[in-house]
Amino acid sequence: MATLLMKPDETSSYAPKQTYFSPYSFNGGTVLAIAGDDFSVIASDTRLSEGFSIHSRDVEKTYKLTGTTVLGSCGFHGDVLTLTKMIEARLKTYKQHHQKTMSTSAIAAMLSTMLYYRRFFPFYTYNIVAGLDDEGKGCVFSFDPVGSYEREAYRAGGSASSMLQPLLDNQIGFKNQQGVEKVGLSQEKAVALVKDVFISAAERDIYTGDAIVIQLVTKDGIKSERFQLRRD
Amino acid sequence: MAAVAIPTATDLQIGGFNFENCRRNVVLKEKGLKEPTAYKTGTTIVGLIYKDGVVLAADTRATEDTVVADKNCEKIHYISSNIYCCGAGTAADTEMTTQMISSQLELHRLNTDRKPRVCTANRLLKQMLFRYHGYISAALVLGGVDSTGPHLYSVYPHGSTDKLPYVTMGSGSLAAMSVFEDGFKPDMEKQEAMQLARNAIVAGIFNDLGSGSNVDVCVITKDKTEYLRTFDEANLKGQRQGNYRYKRGTTGVLKTQVKKFDYEVVGTKVKGEEKMETA
Amino acid sequence: MATMTSGISRPGISAAEFMKPDWLTAEHETGTSIIAVEFDGGVVIGADSRTTTGSYIANRVTDKLTKVTDYIYCCRSGSAADTQAVADIVNYHLSFYKMEMNDEPTVKTAANVFRELCYNYRDSLSAGIIVAGWDKHNGGQVYAIPLGGMISRQPFTTGGSGSTYIYGYVDSNFKTGMTKEECLKFTGEALALAMARDGSSGGIIRLATVTKEGVERYTITGNDIPKFYEG
Repeated sequence: MATLLMKPDETSSYAPKQTYFSPYSFNGGTVLAIAGDDFSVIASDTRLSEGFSIHSRDVEKTYKLTGTTVLGSCGFHGDVLTLTKMIEARLKTYKQHHQKTMSTSAIAAMLSTMLYYRRFFPFYTYNIVAGLDDEGKGCVFSFDPVGSYEREAYRAGGSASSMLQPLLDNQIGFKNQQGVEKVGLSQEKAVALVKDVFISAAERDIYTGDAIVIQLVTKDGIKSERFQLRRD
Repeated sequence: MAAVAIPTATDLQIGGFNFENCRRNVVLKEKGLKEPTAYKTGTTIVGLIYKDGVVLAADTRATEDTVVADKNCEKIHYISSNIYCCGAGTAADTEMTTQMISSQLELHRLNTDRKPRVCTANRLLKQMLFRYHGYISAALVLGGVDSTGPHLYSVYPHGSTDKLPYVTMGSGSLAAMSVFEDGFKPDMEKQEAMQLARNAIVAGIFNDLGSGSNVDVCVITKDKTEYLRTFDEANLKGQRQGNYRYKRGTTGVLKTQVKKFDYEVVGTKVKGEEKMETA
Repeated sequence: MATMTSGISRPGISAAEFMKPDWLTAEHETGTSIIAVEFDGGVVIGADSRTTTGSYIANRVTDKLTKVTDYIYCCRSGSAADTQAVADIVNYHLSFYKMEMNDEPTVKTAANVFRELCYNYRDSLSAGIIVAGWDKHNGGQVYAIPLGGMISRQPFTTGGSGSTYIYGYVDSNFKTGMTKEECLKFTGEALALAMARDGSSGGIIRLATVTKEGVERYTITGNDIPKFYEG
């Protein structure tokens, strides 16, 4: 929650007191998405925290947007709530105007403009859009908080992103591996890898834990799976 | 001209902390340099007095910013055979402070030929911390049994102390204290007291992000001290499904160079470790 | 807390800034109510029992009535670390004085040792102390040593953050020549009123009398604490 507080100047007890208002806070959480040939996997942990305390152990940070698109969003939860609400409204009006649901790549382009619209008072959110593209191939789009985005094969975002991304680079991108066969990722291996990297992230990142929710997007729909993590 | 030797700041140093780079660091900080951060053991530590002695307990997580730096560190420090001390705050400060007081008490024991008393350890700690105006971030739970019975103190970084039957410290102290306020009774049995201390730590482990991993317990009685490292594993590590071993040759070899190292064997000798005379 | 140490927060700023728990930085304050009254033959002293770090009660059964010699006590308010250190130092000086002189120090001497420390270190100490006790020359005496290190003898005095709420009460209810029992009632009620209004005072009431016979201690807990208008 945004807070207002008085903070005495630490250097001198005679200095005037100044009050600050900060509109942001950081609620932790990690999101991760992998694109396969004909599927994509997107997952998030379910811990919502602030400072040294846990607000909730059961808040999913993946949001089903359409039958083929899922958004992962974390950072300041207040902004996540506002942003997802706005996206849902935009998707609804799009459907009413055009008589069709928005494609994954269109949603990604729209999200970019929505984020950049707030260039000088940004949504403090880390977003990843995953789903199937127009050809039925798995796709992942990653964003920075002010709207820069690109299509990628895999991406981690949020509090443990700096721990997960190098692992994904190595295991999916085969970076720093010589003389290995670069085989494509199966659905089963992708899901198992997601679980494993989150187990590792929960070991070292205090803002990642409790459980993960994995969404598997295929042409047959979205399958959801839950997996427990450590709770400390 | 006759040269005069002027002692520099380093020559005058005879011990304690060295402040000679303070001014330089302030300037560097103003120019935008980021200071290295120390390990803060965002911690849960507790202590309570029961029928026959004192129980101390601690979690085992050490953090650096939001990253877990050590998943199984020791936070219950040795002071003397009958006194132990849990530490929260900056890991280096708690470690060095307890070592320093432990050493002073050992010398005191050798000089007086008496078992050290808890109030002595408390007085040494508070006087040292007060001298440093709270800049030594050591928040301690000090417990032990001496000739006058069991004693428990909480010691704060500014040098104030409280003598109480049950205390908690660290970022998880509120969670732990709620367990104590609910379940503490005077003159508990050993098992009951250990379980209550364990529950207090577990409350910290699960509800405070700065605390985690395992529970360490230390039970001190009149004639015995039990240090139970990993008394309880509050969290079991998740089981990974994949295999992440690399085949030989996966790591690329960029350059190979073989050098001959010339040496002559002058003589060999095996030396046993000699114990210091302390008795 | 979302607020940074300085400036406005930005996305991606290190979380460590607002994660610093306040028990590390905040000093322990005995945001207190203390009081001392002279009577013929001794003094009555009293204090609440609350020690706080910010909004957290670090100790709910604190003893702020600290012994300096067998016949001289002090009531501590301000920083817990500072007042404990000062009391320990004075205790050391007076124990030494007693050994050298083979006689109990007077209350005035004790109060002036406190004053010396509180005045000389007035810029770095946050300590408001009441020194009270009995000696064979002048009987029961109360000395107030507020923040700057001034000293003044008074028939009664109050101190700490809670004292501001009870000036009206003490001024209207204090009578010269009260008995020991009347003084105990007066201090107990004054403290109850202060604790009811002041958020950083509370817990139990600790009282003590210091006379020729030495010290006698009382505690008032729970429902025994005097009650007044609570509407």
